[in-house]
Amino acid sequence: MTNKSLWQKFIDRFTRISIKIGNQIHLRSLRDAFAMIMPLFILAGLGVLINNVFFPLFLKGTSLANFQTFGNLIVNGTLNIAGLIIAPVVGYCLARNRNYKNALGAAIVSLAGLIVVMPVTLQALPINGKKAVDISGFLSYSNIGVTGMFAGIIIGLIAAELFIKLSKIEKIKINLGENVPPAVSESFLTLIPTIAVISLLAIISAILFVGFHTDLIKLITTLIQEPLRRVNTSLPGFLLIYSVGNLLFGFGIHQAVINGTLLDPVLLINTNKNMQAFAAGDHVPYIITSVFRDTFGMMGGTGSTICLLVATFLFSRVKASREVTKLSIVPGIFNINEPVIYGYPIVFNIPLLIPFVLTPIISLLIAYYATVLGLMNKTVVLVPWTTPPLINGFLATGGDWRAVVVQLFSFIIGVLFYIPFMKISEQVLLKQNQA
Amino acid sequence: MSTKNIMLCCVAGMSTSLLVNKMKKAATELEKDVVIFATSVSGFDQELASRQVDCVMLGPQVSYMEKDFKEKLKDKNIPLSVINMQDYGMMNGEKVLLQAYELMGGE
Repeated sequence: MTNKSLWQKFIDRFTRISIKIGNQIHLRSLRDAFAMIMPLFILAGLGVLINNVFFPLFLKGTSLANFQTFGNLIVNGTLNIAGLIIAPVVGYCLARNRNYKNALGAAIVSLAGLIVVMPVTLQALPINGKKAVDISGFLSYSNIGVTGMFAGIIIGLIAAELFIKLSKIEKIKINLGENVPPAVSESFLTLIPTIAVISLLAIISAILFVGFHTDLIKLITTLIQEPLRRVNTSLPGFLLIYSVGNLLFGFGIHQAVINGTLLDPVLLINTNKNMQAFAAGDHVPYIITSVFRDTFGMMGGTGSTICLLVATFLFSRVKASREVTKLSIVPGIFNINEPVIYGYPIVFNIPLLIPFVLTPIISLLIAYYATVLGLMNKTVVLVPWTTPPLINGFLATGGDWRAVVVQLFSFIIGVLFYIPFMKISEQVLLKQNQA
Repeated sequence: MSTKNIMLCCVAGMSTSLLVNKMKKAATELEKDVVIFATSVSGFDQELASRQVDCVMLGPQVSYMEKDFKEKLKDKNIPLSVINMQDYGMMNGEKVLLQAYELMGGE
Protein backbone atom coordinates (compact mmCIF):
# COMPACT_ATOMS: atom_id res chain seq x y z
CA MET A 1 0.00 0.00 0.00
CA THR A 2 2.72 2.45 0.98
CA ASN A 3 4.65 1.28 -2.03
CA LYS A 4 1.89 2.29 -4.34
CA SER A 5 1.50 5.74 -2.91
CA LEU A 6 5.25 6.24 -3.18
CA TRP A 7 5.06 5.30 -6.85
CA GLN A 8 2.11 7.66 -7.32
CA LYS A 9 4.05 10.41 -5.60
CA PHE A 10 7.00 9.84 -7.90
CA ILE A 11 4.79 10.03 -10.99
CA ASP A 12 3.10 13.22 -9.83
CA ARG A 13 6.34 14.91 -8.97
CA PHE A 14 8.14 13.76 -12.12
CA THR A 15 5.33 14.96 -14.40
CA ARG A 16 5.02 18.25 -12.56
CA ILE A 17 8.71 19.07 -12.87
CA SER A 18 8.83 18.00 -16.52
CA ILE A 19 5.84 20.12 -17.39
CA LYS A 20 7.44 23.05 -15.64
CA ILE A 21 10.53 22.66 -17.80
CA GLY A 22 8.46 22.13 -20.93
CA ASN A 23 6.25 25.10 -20.24
CA GLN A 24 9.10 27.47 -19.44
CA ILE A 25 8.39 30.29 -21.84
CA HIS A 26 11.82 30.62 -23.47
CA LEU A 27 12.18 26.88 -24.00
CA ARG A 28 8.66 26.71 -25.37
CA SER A 29 9.37 29.56 -27.76
CA LEU A 30 12.46 27.71 -28.90
CA ARG A 31 10.40 24.60 -29.62
CA ASP A 32 7.85 26.65 -31.54
CA ALA A 33 10.63 28.33 -33.52
CA PHE A 34 12.17 25.00 -34.48
CA ALA A 35 8.79 23.72 -35.62
CA MET A 36 8.48 26.80 -37.83
CA ILE A 37 11.84 26.52 -39.59
CA MET A 38 12.00 22.71 -39.80
CA PRO A 39 10.88 22.65 -43.49
CA LEU A 40 14.08 24.50 -44.39
CA PHE A 41 16.29 21.87 -42.76
CA ILE A 42 14.36 19.09 -44.43
CA LEU A 43 14.86 20.89 -47.74
CA ALA A 44 18.59 21.02 -46.95
CA GLY A 45 18.51 17.25 -46.50
CA LEU A 46 16.83 16.86 -49.85
CA GLY A 47 19.42 19.09 -51.51
CA VAL A 48 22.27 17.11 -49.96
CA LEU A 49 20.66 13.84 -51.03
CA ILE A 50 20.28 14.97 -54.64
CA ASN A 51 23.78 16.45 -54.76
CA ASN A 52 25.75 13.68 -53.11
CA VAL A 53 23.76 10.52 -53.79
CA PHE A 54 21.64 11.11 -56.90
CA PHE A 55 23.90 13.19 -59.19
CA PRO A 56 27.03 11.02 -58.68
CA LEU A 57 25.05 8.05 -60.03
CA PHE A 58 25.40 9.32 -63.59
CA LEU A 59 27.72 12.34 -63.50
CA LYS A 60 31.46 12.81 -63.04
CA GLY A 61 34.10 15.54 -62.84
CA THR A 62 33.27 19.03 -63.99
CA SER A 63 29.72 18.28 -65.05
CA LEU A 64 29.05 16.78 -61.61
CA ALA A 65 30.47 19.90 -59.98
CA ASN A 66 28.31 22.07 -62.23
CA PHE A 67 25.17 20.17 -61.34
CA GLN A 68 26.06 20.24 -57.67
CA THR A 69 25.81 24.02 -57.72
CA PHE A 70 22.09 23.39 -57.28
CA GLY A 71 22.49 21.67 -53.92
CA ASN A 72 25.18 24.08 -52.79
CA LEU A 73 22.83 27.00 -53.32
CA ILE A 74 20.16 25.22 -51.29
CA VAL A 75 22.67 24.72 -48.47
CA ASN A 76 23.40 28.46 -48.61
CA GLY A 77 19.73 29.30 -48.17
CA THR A 78 19.16 26.81 -45.35
CA LEU A 79 22.06 25.46 -43.27
CA ASN A 80 24.37 28.39 -43.91
CA ILE A 81 21.86 30.87 -42.52
CA ALA A 82 20.44 28.70 -39.73
CA GLY A 83 21.50 31.15 -37.01
CA LEU A 84 20.29 34.15 -38.98
CA ILE A 85 16.85 32.59 -39.42
CA ILE A 86 16.39 31.22 -35.91
CA ALA A 87 17.05 34.61 -34.22
CA PRO A 88 14.03 36.55 -35.54
CA VAL A 89 11.77 33.48 -35.49
CA VAL A 90 12.52 32.72 -31.85
CA GLY A 91 11.98 36.40 -31.03
CA TYR A 92 8.66 36.27 -32.84
CA CYS A 93 7.57 33.13 -31.00
CA LEU A 94 8.56 34.57 -27.63
CA ALA A 95 6.51 37.69 -28.33
CA ARG A 96 3.52 35.55 -29.26
CA ASN A 97 3.86 33.38 -26.18
CA ARG A 98 4.07 36.51 -24.04
CA ASN A 99 0.87 37.72 -25.72
CA TYR A 100 2.74 40.76 -26.99
CA LYS A 101 0.88 42.28 -29.93
CA ASN A 102 3.75 43.54 -32.07
CA ALA A 103 5.48 40.17 -32.59
CA LEU A 104 7.01 41.28 -35.87
CA GLY A 105 8.59 44.25 -34.09
CA ALA A 106 10.25 41.88 -31.65
CA ALA A 107 11.48 39.71 -34.54
CA ILE A 108 13.06 42.73 -36.23
CA VAL A 109 14.89 43.70 -33.06
CA SER A 110 16.14 40.11 -32.64
CA LEU A 111 17.49 40.06 -36.18
CA ALA A 112 19.16 43.46 -35.88
CA GLY A 113 20.54 42.44 -32.50
CA LEU A 114 22.18 39.34 -33.92
CA ILE A 115 23.86 41.31 -36.70
CA VAL A 116 25.09 43.90 -34.21
CA VAL A 117 27.04 41.29 -32.23
CA MET A 118 28.78 39.91 -35.33
CA PRO A 119 32.55 40.48 -35.51
CA VAL A 120 33.59 43.59 -37.44
CA THR A 121 36.58 42.01 -39.17
CA LEU A 122 36.94 38.42 -40.33
CA GLN A 123 39.72 36.23 -41.54
CA ALA A 124 39.12 34.69 -44.94
CA LEU A 125 40.98 32.54 -47.42
CA PRO A 126 40.90 33.92 -50.98
CA ILE A 127 39.98 31.42 -53.73
CA ASN A 128 43.27 29.88 -54.92
CA GLY A 129 45.07 31.82 -52.15
CA LYS A 130 47.15 30.19 -49.45
CA LYS A 131 47.30 32.87 -46.78
CA ALA A 132 44.27 34.05 -44.80
CA VAL A 133 43.60 37.76 -45.04
CA ASP A 134 41.66 40.14 -42.81
CA ILE A 135 38.48 41.40 -44.38
CA SER A 136 35.71 43.70 -43.20
CA GLY A 137 32.23 44.45 -44.42
CA PHE A 138 31.17 40.80 -44.54
CA LEU A 139 29.14 38.29 -42.57
CA SER A 140 30.49 34.76 -42.59
CA TYR A 141 28.40 31.65 -43.12
CA SER A 142 30.08 30.10 -40.11
CA ASN A 143 28.79 32.87 -37.84
CA ILE A 144 25.28 33.07 -39.24
CA GLY A 145 25.01 29.36 -40.11
CA VAL A 146 24.87 26.14 -38.14
CA THR A 147 27.77 27.00 -35.83
CA GLY A 148 26.06 30.26 -34.94
CA MET A 149 22.70 28.66 -34.19
CA PHE A 150 22.99 28.92 -30.44
CA ALA A 151 24.17 32.49 -30.68
CA GLY A 152 21.12 33.17 -32.85
CA ILE A 153 18.84 31.55 -30.27
CA ILE A 154 20.32 33.32 -27.27
CA ILE A 155 20.68 36.77 -28.82
CA GLY A 156 17.24 36.41 -30.42
CA LEU A 157 15.67 35.58 -27.06
CA ILE A 158 17.52 38.25 -25.08
CA ALA A 159 16.84 41.00 -27.61
CA ALA A 160 13.14 40.15 -27.92
CA GLU A 161 12.73 39.78 -24.16
CA LEU A 162 14.30 43.16 -23.40
CA PHE A 163 12.30 44.76 -26.21
CA ILE A 164 9.00 43.39 -24.91
CA LYS A 165 9.80 44.35 -21.31
CA LEU A 166 10.78 47.91 -22.27
CA SER A 167 7.76 48.31 -24.54
CA LYS A 168 5.47 47.67 -21.62
CA ILE A 169 6.92 50.48 -19.50
CA GLU A 170 4.52 53.43 -19.78
CA LYS A 171 7.04 56.10 -18.83
CA ILE A 172 9.28 55.69 -21.84
CA LYS A 173 6.52 55.66 -24.43
CA ILE A 174 6.59 58.69 -26.67
CA ASN A 175 3.23 60.37 -26.32
CA LEU A 176 2.26 62.55 -29.25
CA GLY A 177 -1.10 63.71 -27.95
CA GLU A 178 -4.63 62.99 -29.06
CA ASN A 179 -4.61 64.82 -32.39
CA VAL A 180 -1.96 62.59 -33.91
CA PRO A 181 -3.37 59.66 -35.93
CA PRO A 182 -3.11 56.40 -33.91
CA ALA A 183 -1.01 54.71 -36.60
CA VAL A 184 1.60 57.45 -36.34
CA SER A 185 1.90 57.27 -32.57
CA GLU A 186 1.96 53.47 -32.82
CA SER A 187 5.11 53.69 -34.91
CA PHE A 188 6.77 55.75 -32.17
CA LEU A 189 5.81 53.30 -29.40
CA THR A 190 8.56 50.89 -30.21
CA LEU A 191 11.18 53.49 -30.98
CA ILE A 192 12.83 53.87 -27.58
CA PRO A 193 12.84 50.13 -26.77
CA THR A 194 14.43 49.41 -30.16
CA ILE A 195 17.10 52.05 -29.68
CA ALA A 196 17.83 50.85 -26.14
CA VAL A 197 18.13 47.14 -26.94
CA ILE A 198 20.25 47.50 -30.06
CA SER A 199 22.50 50.15 -28.47
CA LEU A 200 23.07 47.95 -25.43
CA LEU A 201 24.14 45.01 -27.60
CA ALA A 202 26.32 47.34 -29.67
CA ILE A 203 28.05 48.68 -26.54
CA ILE A 204 28.75 45.18 -25.21
CA SER A 205 30.03 44.00 -28.58
CA ALA A 206 32.20 47.08 -29.02
CA ILE A 207 33.79 46.58 -25.60
CA LEU A 208 34.43 42.90 -26.32
CA PHE A 209 35.84 43.66 -29.73
CA VAL A 210 38.03 46.65 -28.89
CA GLY A 211 39.04 45.63 -25.38
CA PHE A 212 39.27 41.84 -25.60
CA HIS A 213 39.53 41.09 -29.34
CA THR A 214 36.63 38.70 -29.17
CA ASP A 215 32.89 38.73 -29.90
CA LEU A 216 29.64 37.42 -28.42
CA ILE A 217 29.19 34.81 -31.13
CA LYS A 218 32.52 33.24 -30.28
CA LEU A 219 31.84 33.43 -26.53
CA ILE A 220 28.36 31.89 -26.75
CA THR A 221 29.58 29.15 -29.05
CA THR A 222 32.58 28.14 -26.96
CA LEU A 223 31.18 28.74 -23.47
CA ILE A 224 27.57 27.57 -23.85
CA GLN A 225 26.88 25.74 -27.09
CA GLU A 226 29.86 23.39 -27.18
CA PRO A 227 29.85 22.19 -23.53
CA LEU A 228 26.08 21.65 -23.64
CA ARG A 229 26.23 19.90 -26.97
CA ARG A 230 29.09 17.69 -25.86
CA VAL A 231 27.35 16.52 -22.69
CA ASN A 232 23.84 16.13 -24.10
CA THR A 233 24.92 14.36 -27.26
CA SER A 234 27.44 12.05 -25.58
CA LEU A 235 26.21 8.46 -25.54
CA PRO A 236 25.28 8.33 -21.81
CA GLY A 237 23.92 11.89 -21.72
CA PHE A 238 21.83 11.35 -24.82
CA LEU A 239 20.40 7.99 -23.71
CA LEU A 240 19.61 9.31 -20.23
CA ILE A 241 17.75 12.43 -21.38
CA TYR A 242 15.96 10.55 -24.14
CA SER A 243 14.81 7.83 -21.75
CA VAL A 244 13.56 10.34 -19.20
CA GLY A 245 11.50 11.90 -21.98
CA ASN A 246 10.13 8.53 -23.01
CA LEU A 247 9.24 7.64 -19.43
CA LEU A 248 7.27 10.88 -19.28
CA PHE A 249 5.30 9.79 -22.34
CA GLY A 250 4.55 6.60 -20.38
CA PHE A 251 2.73 8.86 -17.94
CA GLY A 252 0.71 10.43 -20.74
CA ILE A 253 2.69 13.61 -21.38
CA HIS A 254 4.38 13.94 -24.75
CA GLN A 255 8.13 13.29 -24.71
CA ALA A 256 8.76 16.48 -26.67
CA VAL A 257 8.37 18.37 -23.38
CA ILE A 258 11.77 17.01 -22.32
CA ASN A 259 13.39 16.06 -25.61
CA GLY A 260 12.20 19.05 -27.61
CA THR A 261 13.95 21.36 -25.19
CA LEU A 262 16.99 19.53 -23.84
CA LEU A 263 17.91 17.36 -26.82
CA ASP A 264 16.52 18.64 -30.10
CA PRO A 265 18.48 21.90 -30.34
CA VAL A 266 21.87 20.23 -29.80
CA LEU A 267 21.00 17.10 -31.79
CA LEU A 268 19.89 19.31 -34.66
CA ILE A 269 23.23 21.10 -34.65
CA ASN A 270 24.90 17.70 -35.02
CA THR A 271 22.57 16.73 -37.86
CA ASN A 272 23.14 20.00 -39.65
CA LYS A 273 26.91 19.78 -39.26
CA ASN A 274 26.86 16.25 -40.65
CA MET A 275 24.77 17.41 -43.61
CA GLN A 276 27.15 20.29 -44.21
CA ALA A 277 30.23 18.04 -44.05
CA PHE A 278 28.64 15.42 -46.29
CA ALA A 279 27.64 18.08 -48.82
CA ALA A 280 31.18 19.44 -48.85
CA GLY A 281 32.72 15.96 -49.06
CA ASP A 282 34.45 16.42 -45.68
CA HIS A 283 34.78 13.96 -42.80
CA VAL A 284 31.32 13.48 -41.22
CA PRO A 285 31.76 14.26 -37.50
CA TYR A 286 28.89 12.86 -35.41
CA ILE A 287 27.20 9.50 -34.81
CA ILE A 288 24.45 10.82 -32.55
CA THR A 289 22.16 13.24 -34.37
CA SER A 290 18.46 14.05 -34.35
CA VAL A 291 17.87 11.89 -37.40
CA PHE A 292 19.91 9.04 -35.83
CA ARG A 293 17.47 9.10 -32.91
CA ASP A 294 14.37 9.26 -35.13
CA THR A 295 15.61 6.51 -37.40
CA PHE A 296 16.87 3.96 -34.89
CA GLY A 297 15.29 5.01 -31.59
CA MET A 298 11.65 5.49 -32.56
CA MET A 299 10.65 2.95 -35.17
CA GLY A 300 6.89 3.29 -35.44
CA GLY A 301 6.95 6.19 -33.00
CA THR A 302 8.25 6.78 -29.47
CA GLY A 303 9.19 3.52 -27.76
CA SER A 304 9.65 1.76 -31.13
CA THR A 305 6.09 0.55 -30.66
CA ILE A 306 5.95 -1.02 -34.11
CA CYS A 307 7.75 -3.90 -32.37
CA LEU A 308 4.87 -4.21 -29.89
CA LEU A 309 2.34 -4.15 -32.71
CA VAL A 310 4.07 -6.97 -34.54
CA ALA A 311 4.53 -8.93 -31.29
CA THR A 312 0.81 -8.56 -30.61
CA PHE A 313 -0.14 -9.49 -34.13
CA LEU A 314 1.96 -12.66 -33.97
CA PHE A 315 1.53 -13.84 -30.41
CA SER A 316 -1.46 -12.24 -28.67
CA ARG A 317 -4.85 -13.86 -28.33
CA VAL A 318 -6.44 -10.98 -26.45
CA LYS A 319 -9.13 -9.46 -28.63
CA ALA A 320 -8.80 -5.90 -27.30
CA SER A 321 -5.05 -5.79 -27.98
CA ARG A 322 -5.53 -7.12 -31.49
CA GLU A 323 -8.22 -4.50 -32.15
CA VAL A 324 -5.88 -1.64 -31.13
CA THR A 325 -3.12 -3.16 -33.22
CA LYS A 326 -5.31 -3.14 -36.30
CA LEU A 327 -6.20 0.47 -35.66
CA SER A 328 -2.60 1.50 -35.00
CA ILE A 329 -0.63 -0.23 -37.70
CA VAL A 330 -1.12 2.27 -40.53
CA PRO A 331 -0.32 5.41 -38.50
CA GLY A 332 2.51 3.37 -36.92
CA ILE A 333 4.15 2.91 -40.31
CA PHE A 334 4.47 6.69 -40.36
CA ASN A 335 5.81 6.75 -36.80
CA ILE A 336 2.60 8.10 -35.29
CA ASN A 337 1.67 6.00 -32.28
CA GLU A 338 -0.72 7.86 -29.98
CA PRO A 339 -3.34 5.13 -30.57
CA VAL A 340 -0.88 2.55 -29.19
CA ILE A 341 0.22 4.71 -26.28
CA TYR A 342 -3.30 5.64 -25.13
CA GLY A 343 -5.31 2.80 -26.60
CA TYR A 344 -3.24 -0.32 -25.92
CA PRO A 345 -2.56 1.28 -23.40
CA ILE A 346 1.07 1.87 -22.53
CA VAL A 347 0.33 4.84 -20.28
CA PHE A 348 0.45 3.84 -16.60
CA ASN A 349 0.84 0.21 -17.66
CA ILE A 350 3.97 -0.76 -15.72
CA PRO A 351 4.79 -4.05 -17.52
CA LEU A 352 4.78 -2.26 -20.88
CA LEU A 353 6.50 0.87 -19.62
CA ILE A 354 9.68 -1.20 -19.22
CA PRO A 355 10.13 -2.19 -22.88
CA PHE A 356 8.70 1.17 -23.94
CA VAL A 357 11.73 2.85 -22.36
CA LEU A 358 14.33 0.09 -22.88
CA THR A 359 13.68 -0.98 -26.49
CA PRO A 360 14.81 2.37 -27.92
CA ILE A 361 17.96 2.21 -25.77
CA ILE A 362 18.77 -1.25 -27.11
CA SER A 363 18.22 -0.26 -30.75
CA LEU A 364 20.16 2.95 -30.34
CA LEU A 365 23.08 1.06 -28.80
CA ILE A 366 23.02 -1.45 -31.65
CA ALA A 367 23.00 1.34 -34.22
CA TYR A 368 25.68 3.28 -32.35
CA TYR A 369 28.14 0.41 -32.20
CA ALA A 370 27.31 -0.67 -35.74
CA THR A 371 28.40 2.80 -36.81
CA VAL A 372 31.51 2.73 -34.61
CA LEU A 373 32.52 -0.62 -36.12
CA GLY A 374 32.04 0.81 -39.60
CA LEU A 375 29.16 -1.53 -40.40
CA MET A 376 27.09 1.38 -41.63
CA ASN A 377 27.44 5.07 -42.52
CA LYS A 378 26.72 7.94 -40.17
CA THR A 379 23.42 9.76 -40.58
CA VAL A 380 23.96 12.63 -43.00
CA VAL A 381 20.51 13.58 -44.27
CA LEU A 382 17.64 15.03 -42.27
CA VAL A 383 14.52 13.10 -43.24
CA PRO A 384 11.09 14.06 -41.85
CA TRP A 385 10.27 12.01 -38.74
CA THR A 386 7.13 10.69 -40.42
CA THR A 387 9.20 8.75 -42.99
CA PRO A 388 8.49 5.00 -42.53
CA PRO A 389 11.17 2.82 -40.86
CA LEU A 390 13.64 1.11 -43.23
CA ILE A 391 13.05 3.81 -45.85
CA ASN A 392 14.25 6.45 -43.37
CA GLY A 393 17.35 4.42 -42.52
CA PHE A 394 18.28 4.20 -46.17
CA LEU A 395 17.75 7.91 -46.85
CA ALA A 396 19.24 9.20 -43.59
CA THR A 397 22.56 7.49 -44.20
CA GLY A 398 22.81 8.87 -47.71
CA GLY A 399 21.58 5.66 -49.33
CA ASP A 400 23.38 3.00 -47.28
CA TRP A 401 21.48 -0.31 -47.48
CA ARG A 402 23.46 -1.64 -44.49
CA ALA A 403 21.60 0.83 -42.28
CA VAL A 404 18.40 -0.90 -43.33
CA VAL A 405 19.86 -4.22 -42.22
CA VAL A 406 20.79 -2.70 -38.85
CA GLN A 407 17.24 -1.37 -38.52
CA LEU A 408 15.77 -4.74 -39.41
CA PHE A 409 18.02 -6.45 -36.85
CA SER A 410 17.06 -3.94 -34.11
CA PHE A 411 13.45 -4.40 -35.06
CA ILE A 412 13.60 -8.18 -34.57
CA ILE A 413 15.37 -7.75 -31.21
CA GLY A 414 12.68 -5.23 -30.27
CA VAL A 415 9.86 -7.63 -31.12
CA LEU A 416 11.48 -10.41 -29.07
CA PHE A 417 12.03 -8.00 -26.18
CA TYR A 418 8.42 -6.79 -26.18
CA ILE A 419 6.88 -10.30 -26.19
CA PRO A 420 7.37 -11.30 -22.50
CA PHE A 421 6.23 -7.89 -21.24
CA MET A 422 3.20 -8.01 -23.51
CA LYS A 423 2.30 -11.40 -22.01
CA ILE A 424 2.72 -10.09 -18.44
CA SER A 425 0.61 -7.05 -19.29
CA GLU A 426 -2.15 -9.31 -20.62
CA GLN A 427 -2.05 -11.46 -17.48
CA VAL A 428 -2.36 -8.38 -15.29
CA LEU A 429 -5.25 -7.03 -17.32
CA LEU A 430 -6.97 -10.41 -17.21
CA LYS A 431 -6.67 -10.56 -13.41
CA GLN A 432 -7.93 -7.01 -13.08
CA ASN A 433 -10.96 -7.83 -15.20
CA GLN A 434 -11.71 -10.95 -13.14
CA ALA A 435 -11.41 -9.13 -9.85
CA MET B 1 -28.65 25.61 -35.86
CA SER B 2 -25.43 27.15 -37.13
CA THR B 3 -22.26 25.38 -38.16
CA LYS B 4 -19.98 24.55 -35.23
CA ASN B 5 -16.20 24.73 -35.51
CA ILE B 6 -14.16 22.30 -33.44
CA MET B 7 -10.39 22.63 -33.23
CA LEU B 8 -8.25 19.70 -32.13
CA CYS B 9 -4.71 20.33 -30.98
CA CYS B 10 -1.68 18.11 -30.32
CA VAL B 11 2.11 18.35 -30.61
CA ALA B 12 2.38 18.26 -34.38
CA GLY B 13 -1.31 18.06 -35.34
CA MET B 14 -0.66 14.58 -36.75
CA SER B 15 -2.39 12.13 -34.46
CA THR B 16 -5.30 14.51 -33.85
CA SER B 17 -5.83 14.67 -37.60
CA LEU B 18 -6.45 10.92 -37.44
CA LEU B 19 -9.15 11.54 -34.87
CA VAL B 20 -10.58 14.37 -36.98
CA ASN B 21 -11.37 11.89 -39.74
CA LYS B 22 -13.14 9.59 -37.29
CA MET B 23 -15.10 12.52 -35.83
CA LYS B 24 -16.17 13.69 -39.28
CA LYS B 25 -17.51 10.24 -39.99
CA ALA B 26 -19.42 10.26 -36.72
CA ALA B 27 -20.75 13.74 -37.51
CA THR B 28 -22.16 12.57 -40.83
CA GLU B 29 -23.87 9.66 -39.11
CA LEU B 30 -25.29 11.89 -36.39
CA GLU B 31 -26.20 14.55 -38.98
CA LYS B 32 -24.29 17.29 -37.19
CA ASP B 33 -23.41 20.48 -39.06
CA VAL B 34 -19.80 20.82 -38.01
CA VAL B 35 -16.31 21.77 -39.19
CA ILE B 36 -13.52 19.83 -37.48
CA PHE B 37 -9.81 20.44 -37.96
CA ALA B 38 -6.47 19.65 -36.30
CA THR B 39 -3.51 21.89 -35.57
CA SER B 40 -0.20 21.80 -33.69
CA VAL B 41 0.48 23.44 -30.35
CA SER B 42 2.69 26.00 -32.09
CA GLY B 43 0.00 26.71 -34.68
CA PHE B 44 -2.65 27.34 -32.03
CA ASP B 45 -2.47 31.16 -31.98
CA GLN B 46 -2.50 31.48 -35.71
CA GLU B 47 -5.54 29.25 -36.22
CA LEU B 48 -7.35 31.01 -33.43
CA ALA B 49 -6.72 34.40 -35.01
CA SER B 50 -7.56 33.40 -38.55
CA ARG B 51 -10.76 31.39 -38.31
CA GLN B 52 -13.95 30.80 -36.38
CA VAL B 53 -13.48 28.42 -33.44
CA ASP B 54 -16.33 27.35 -31.15
CA CYS B 55 -14.52 24.79 -29.06
CA VAL B 56 -10.99 23.42 -28.54
CA MET B 57 -10.12 19.81 -27.73
CA LEU B 58 -6.59 19.04 -26.53
CA GLY B 59 -4.85 15.70 -27.06
CA PRO B 60 -3.99 14.16 -23.68
CA GLN B 61 -0.27 14.31 -24.50
CA VAL B 62 -0.44 18.12 -24.47
CA SER B 63 -2.74 18.38 -21.45
CA TYR B 64 0.01 20.47 -19.85
CA MET B 65 -0.99 23.36 -22.13
CA GLU B 66 -4.52 23.41 -20.73
CA LYS B 67 -4.04 26.27 -18.28
CA ASP B 68 -2.12 28.43 -20.72
CA PHE B 69 -4.59 27.96 -23.55
CA LYS B 70 -7.61 28.49 -21.30
CA GLU B 71 -6.14 31.85 -20.40
CA LYS B 72 -5.91 32.76 -24.09
CA LEU B 73 -9.48 31.60 -24.74
CA LYS B 74 -11.02 33.38 -21.77
CA ASP B 75 -11.82 36.65 -23.53
CA LYS B 76 -13.33 34.90 -26.50
CA ASN B 77 -15.48 32.65 -24.37
CA ILE B 78 -14.35 29.52 -26.19
CA PRO B 79 -14.55 26.35 -24.09
CA LEU B 80 -11.61 23.94 -23.95
CA SER B 81 -11.29 20.38 -22.75
CA VAL B 82 -8.68 17.62 -22.72
CA ILE B 83 -9.72 14.51 -24.63
CA ASN B 84 -10.15 11.40 -22.51
CA MET B 85 -7.07 9.14 -22.83
CA GLN B 86 -9.07 6.01 -23.60
CA ASP B 87 -11.21 7.66 -26.27
CA TYR B 88 -8.10 9.18 -27.77
CA GLY B 89 -6.28 5.87 -27.92
CA MET B 90 -9.22 4.03 -29.42
CA MET B 91 -9.80 6.96 -31.80
CA ASN B 92 -13.44 6.98 -30.75
CA GLY B 93 -14.73 9.76 -33.01
CA GLU B 94 -18.30 9.63 -31.81
CA LYS B 95 -17.49 9.94 -28.12
CA VAL B 96 -15.08 12.83 -28.63
CA LEU B 97 -17.62 14.58 -30.88
CA LEU B 98 -20.29 14.23 -28.22
CA GLN B 99 -17.81 15.47 -25.60
CA ALA B 100 -17.25 18.54 -27.78
CA TYR B 101 -20.98 19.17 -28.16
CA GLU B 102 -21.47 18.87 -24.43
CA LEU B 103 -18.71 21.44 -24.01
CA MET B 104 -20.47 23.84 -26.37
CA GLY B 105 -23.67 23.49 -24.41
CA GLY B 106 -25.63 20.75 -26.11
CA GLU B 107 -27.64 21.13 -29.34
